[in-house]
Amino acid sequence: MIEVRGISKHYGDLKAVDNLSITIEKGHIFGLLGPNGAGKSTTISMMCGLISPDQGAVQLNGEQPTDKATKHKIGLIPQSIALYEELTALDNLSFFADLYGLSSSLKAERMEWSLKFVGLQDRAKDTVSEYSGGMKRRLNLAASLLHDPEYIFMDEPTAGVDPQSRNKLFESVFELKDLGKTIIYTTHYMEEAEKLCDRVGIVDNGRLLALGTVDELIEQHGGHSSVNISSEQGEESFMTANPVNDLMARLRDLNTVENLSLQRPNLETVFLNLTGKQLRD
Amino acid sequence: MMKAVIALMKKDLKLLFKDKMAVFFTFVFPLLFAFFFGSIFSSGGGSQGLKIAVADLDNTEKSQAFVKQLNEANEFVVTETDEANAKELVRTGKRVAFIILPEGFGENYGGIFSGEAPEILVGIDPARKAEAGYLEGSLMKLGIKRFELAFSDANEMIKQLDFSIDDIQQSDEMPAEWKSLLGDYLPKFKELTELELAKQPGGASSTGLSFGADGDNPMMPLKITKEEVMVQKTGPRNAFSITIPQGVIWAIMGCVIGFAISLVREKTLGTLDRLAIAPISRTQILAGKALGCFAAQAMVVTLLFTIAYFVLDVRFDFIKLLLAVLAAGICFVGIMMFFASITKTEQSVAGMTNAFLILMGMIGGAMIPLFAMPGWMQSISHISPVKWAILAFEGAIWRDFSYIEMMTPLAILTAIGVVTFFIGTRMLKLKQA
Repeated sequence: MIEVRGISKHYGDLKAVDNLSITIEKGHIFGLLGPNGAGKSTTISMMCGLISPDQGAVQLNGEQPTDKATKHKIGLIPQSIALYEELTALDNLSFFADLYGLSSSLKAERMEWSLKFVGLQDRAKDTVSEYSGGMKRRLNLAASLLHDPEYIFMDEPTAGVDPQSRNKLFESVFELKDLGKTIIYTTHYMEEAEKLCDRVGIVDNGRLLALGTVDELIEQHGGHSSVNISSEQGEESFMTANPVNDLMARLRDLNTVENLSLQRPNLETVFLNLTGKQLRD
Repeated sequence: MMKAVIALMKKDLKLLFKDKMAVFFTFVFPLLFAFFFGSIFSSGGGSQGLKIAVADLDNTEKSQAFVKQLNEANEFVVTETDEANAKELVRTGKRVAFIILPEGFGENYGGIFSGEAPEILVGIDPARKAEAGYLEGSLMKLGIKRFELAFSDANEMIKQLDFSIDDIQQSDEMPAEWKSLLGDYLPKFKELTELELAKQPGGASSTGLSFGADGDNPMMPLKITKEEVMVQKTGPRNAFSITIPQGVIWAIMGCVIGFAISLVREKTLGTLDRLAIAPISRTQILAGKALGCFAAQAMVVTLLFTIAYFVLDVRFDFIKLLLAVLAAGICFVGIMMFFASITKTEQSVAGMTNAFLILMGMIGGAMIPLFAMPGWMQSISHISPVKWAILAFEGAIWRDFSYIEMMTPLAILTAIGVVTFFIGTRMLKLKQA
């Protein structure tokens, strides 16, 4: 379990993260959703021990993330392609494995597993500079899994990735969940959060605005569904908290319906309702 | 966790060798620099001929002809002077050897069948065995020319025979049997030569006569008396002794720039985050970087000094050189760390480090040798770590520094390294926090 209690981080006058608290259950995929500059990366950096919070504390199963023993349990997939492009995939993985002090046999085993996991075993001897953007992203993930971490922090892992590689990455995230890993996933794509995450925290300007499952968030902050009906009586629109019941009731009064649309609230609407602005502004 | 530090070092060296441009500027350019400028400064030595001083004490037609032969020979670059100055030039290392033509040289040089081989006195530093052998061989070659001259010109031969017959008749020291034998033989030989000469159309000078040209002739071309000269060890052995330390500095500067850029690149790429998240301390990460930079410096310095020793005839005190390499390594690793800590992008670190090191190199003797600088520039050079590094290297190579004298540059280099390393690592850690 990850416990984040009232963490804050300032950079000069800028308050990057402001008194943020969350709890993440073991084996969950937790999403931090927010626009660029919301404080997601700073939060994840404090959670994995990369930077220290000015206030508050982070504990991974009761331990500090900066403890040497805890570091063995943390895997970070940085937002950038944090690889040495002049070296081969094998050289990169070998180097990162050495940092974790893996024995020769375990190192070879984990390198093979990681490459297979991201589907790059056939390109292992190629230099990274020859890889496509999607392949680099996948290797970026493989390099973080070498030491079999318990907590995996993914900072916008799909940035600049083609749809095919994105789907492959989603599959990898679910496989990791199946392996019992706890995953913290930051994104500014609400579709990703809706598809992947068990629970989502919505952040903006360094503050946690809402926290819960996708359904809970929509229920609490999404507002009403929008219904639009075209019939022999003309066009009509209405907002409803219970679209199925209300729509069925309205349809009973109409003989023919030419067009019908139902717009349910989503995380985008949740964000709009919470901040008054679009997620991708 | 030394394994992680070694892994960091190995990775950085691997990256260095993957970058062809970095390899060129770290390993090849310094060597080219040292070789190119060393060759320019070496003009007059090596392939252009041995620099020798010649004193003609005989001052006869024959001795002057011999000096002329020396001047015309490709093997020598001759300075004609008096005996005392010739010896001084060799003692101070300004000339490789001196040659003294003593009084009576011309008389013996002309006498083929009588008297003694013409004697010359040659002085050379006993340490320069290769040059000594080359000099002796070249002088013998010139000495043989006096036989060629005598035996290839019939008129010269007849003159030599007349001179020798008179000399033998007047000699009181020659045994009677020899006097009788030569008194009988030489006139007949002269008669034969005159007959041969008469047969030549127009009395051509060349007779084609040959006398034991295959080396059976027991007569020596020259009698060389050698004198060992103790050369003052106050100057560089050769120009490469000056340009190799300069080349080494360029190599070290290449390493510093390369590693400073690589450290900043770790920040911009995000690989530094990967390192920071690993179960190693920030000190270990920075130690790995520092060790990589130091190892690269050590490799290139070893390569350059190995080539300098075996190819360019540069000699040095190994222990003092090792101390100089260590101190310079500490100094420039610290400087690398400092510049990597104060810059944010690869462009800014490259620009700033280049500007600083080139300026320090210019005033520190990496371009113009320290001893060739004007006084005011030598004073300014004190602020340059390059100056102290070159001084330490030169102290081990040709300045013949004692260990006490070595202490000054070594202490300054180490102090600069420790201070800049401390500031650099502190700033990097603070920025990461």
